[in-house]
Amino acid sequence: MAEEGLAKVEKIYQDRGGRAKELRAQGKKIIGCYCCYAPPEIITAAGLVPYRITGDVKETIREADSYLEAIMCPFCRNSFDMALRGEYDFLDGFVVPHTCDNIVKIYDVWKYNLKPPYSHFINVPHTLSAASLEFFKAELGTFQRSIERLIGREISLQQLKESIKLHNEYRALVRELYELSKPDPPLISGSERMKVLLAGTRVPVEEANELLRSVISEVKERRDVPPKKPARVLVYGPEIDDAPFIELVEGVGANVVIDDLCVGTRPYWFDVEINGDPLGAMAQAYLEKVNCPRTYRPRTAGRKEDLDNRFGYIANFAKEYKVNGIILLILNYCDNYEFESVEVKDYLQQAGFPGLIIEVDYTLMSIDWLKTRVQAFLEMIS
Amino acid sequence: MEEKKGGLLAGIYSRTIKTTDAAKKVRPLTKKISQQAHEAAAEGKPIAYCFIMSLHDEIIRAMDITPIWTENYAAITAVKRQGERFISSAQGEGFPRNLCTYCTIQEGFDVMRHQLGMMPPDAPDGGMERPTMMLGTGMMICDPRYKSYQTAQRYNDVPVHVHGLLWPAADANLAEVQDYYVKYIVEELRDLVDFLEKQTGRKMDWDRLNEIIDLANKTYQVWYDAYQLRKAIPAPMPTEDAMSTMVPGYFWMGTQEAFDFYQDLYNEVKYRVDNRIGVIPDEKYRILWAAGLPPWFALAILNYFESLGAVFPIEITYHPPPPVEIPSHAKHPLERLAWRFFKQWTQRNEEAQRRSGDPMVEWMLEMIEDYKIDGVLAHRATTCRTIHVGQIHQLNVLRDYVDLPMLILESDICDVSAFDEAGTKDRIDTFVETLEVYKKRKQ
Repeated sequence: MAEEGLAKVEKIYQDRGGRAKELRAQGKKIIGCYCCYAPPEIITAAGLVPYRITGDVKETIREADSYLEAIMCPFCRNSFDMALRGEYDFLDGFVVPHTCDNIVKIYDVWKYNLKPPYSHFINVPHTLSAASLEFFKAELGTFQRSIERLIGREISLQQLKESIKLHNEYRALVRELYELSKPDPPLISGSERMKVLLAGTRVPVEEANELLRSVISEVKERRDVPPKKPARVLVYGPEIDDAPFIELVEGVGANVVIDDLCVGTRPYWFDVEINGDPLGAMAQAYLEKVNCPRTYRPRTAGRKEDLDNRFGYIANFAKEYKVNGIILLILNYCDNYEFESVEVKDYLQQAGFPGLIIEVDYTLMSIDWLKTRVQAFLEMIS
Repeated sequence: MEEKKGGLLAGIYSRTIKTTDAAKKVRPLTKKISQQAHEAAAEGKPIAYCFIMSLHDEIIRAMDITPIWTENYAAITAVKRQGERFISSAQGEGFPRNLCTYCTIQEGFDVMRHQLGMMPPDAPDGGMERPTMMLGTGMMICDPRYKSYQTAQRYNDVPVHVHGLLWPAADANLAEVQDYYVKYIVEELRDLVDFLEKQTGRKMDWDRLNEIIDLANKTYQVWYDAYQLRKAIPAPMPTEDAMSTMVPGYFWMGTQEAFDFYQDLYNEVKYRVDNRIGVIPDEKYRILWAAGLPPWFALAILNYFESLGAVFPIEITYHPPPPVEIPSHAKHPLERLAWRFFKQWTQRNEEAQRRSGDPMVEWMLEMIEDYKIDGVLAHRATTCRTIHVGQIHQLNVLRDYVDLPMLILESDICDVSAFDEAGTKDRIDTFVETLEVYKKRKQ
């Protein structure tokens, strides 16, 4: 019997590019994507396989120092270091959206030094005006044409809609997965959930949907649920894309029941409208509904309304999942989150959720101090 | 060794020695920025916090809005060694020290002014007035431009406007994308004008804006022409002067004062070229200041280079944009601004696609040839990712095309504590020795 559910997740999680390499051997093309703003729908519609580029928190930088400054986002440095070491050699191309200063820079450096067969940069406006939506739609059109040149044929409207449907299904399954964290104790641990999400980004969306369905079914029925911990927490932050930090928090006395992370709820808490113009629908969904501080959300009323508009969804998560506190895990040199976390912490504090800001260098090489700080915080809120 | 340039760097507190009279006349212009803001505040007129290079210049001049260039003010506090108290103030609010110190100084200043209910005591130039609005931008570079003012609403509860200004990646097909890029910039500028009209209760005078753009374009041209004269040997004007002469171009653009300043600068540099008056009497090495913001509190390091016979005849940082051709169909002032912006930012993309892949490297290659450069120096400001992430890559690529010594010095724009004086001097000494080795080898 073929592996499924959490056992399969563990295998894909451990083997990182294993499935992608198998697919490549079968003639599929694998396209690496940074961040949350490159719609995988367009890649899937072309018959290609989107693969989310992540780093490896267990590795320190070995070669990237000769190419990238130490003052850069440590996730970008780490993932590029992996690429230099050949760990992304299975990619047939890569796509970089303009998320922030750091991601913009990685495009040139990767392209020049690793010379991938295909590369494309998608510009993403920082504002939400009508002009920004129109512009982003045009950029997605340019991306689609670029992918069409790669595959040597046009992507049909039907293929695009089918792909949106598949990815909407995936997003819905992810949301269903999070539902399993609402009971106390949760039916699935935060680190298990993180592994499921990572596995989902490393296989074609059809397989990811199947995988999630099997995980949800297994978790609903299993009896060995994660032990109840003294606290339930939400983890907020940027590209936290591996399980060890979540394991650390859970190991010192909390259930991580919800998050606001790039590999977490952030890219999955919306659907793309399936009727009408697919590019316009994707532009609207990705620009407006991915809650990242890199997008400036204009203030339409007073200060309180502005903060509610920007951070109210985090407070809603906290209420809905009945958390005791928030851990704001910020990466060094991530300007957007460094600015924003000050406001997020204050806002959530006022909403009744105490917060702890921790800045890390992405890797978990020096984990003890982190454990001490988290432990002290959990004791305070438990 | 000439007395003027000969003294070793007497600590980072030493005053930078400027060469041109024009550079020596800049300080009153920076004082005047604050002075005008004080007057505007007293009269209840609109005041805007602004970032440079955001296409605000002509628009706010046309609408009689008084700008406070917060980056400029931060640099002034750094030069006056007063930045630390504002950085600490921001740090006390939770803003990490590794954030852009232009912004942490602004945030820290805002915090103090807010908490004290008055201007922080002894603030340089009388301090920054509380703005009536804050104008950010969402660009390809510099995330703090849209985050910093948004966060500053904690201390200045005034309206913020952010407009988008994007340009395509170096490998983009310009013919495929330029129309929708320009259209986007036009519409975002129109949105900015709508916002300003609402805030000020004034209507934009489009004819006046067109006139101001005409004046700005003339100013860019004479500024650019003056810098072209710097190709001469010996170098007539050094980079430390350019760090001052950028002030009218970045903070007074669209005014007669800025035009007159660059006309005078042109005349002065031309006189020096015609009479072979160099920055230093015995110019041995010519170094390009690559992309990188300077340590404003320690510009005297450039004088230290000069004491070793090395001069910086030109720099990427704050270099005026070259004149670009605007399509004849672009008549509306916002279209003219948008096309100028787009063309300026993409002017080397096609060359880059043919050769290095990097427009900045292409620009450096041009300068290395035109200004007879012997070596390249970049300064890394540790709190700014905008320009300083990518320097290693640019120099790596540059090495594929030229065989020159290259050095990256590291400190910060405004954080004095990031500066290692002894280590910096050591690296400069070694670099200058390397320049000599290369020179001999080429001979």
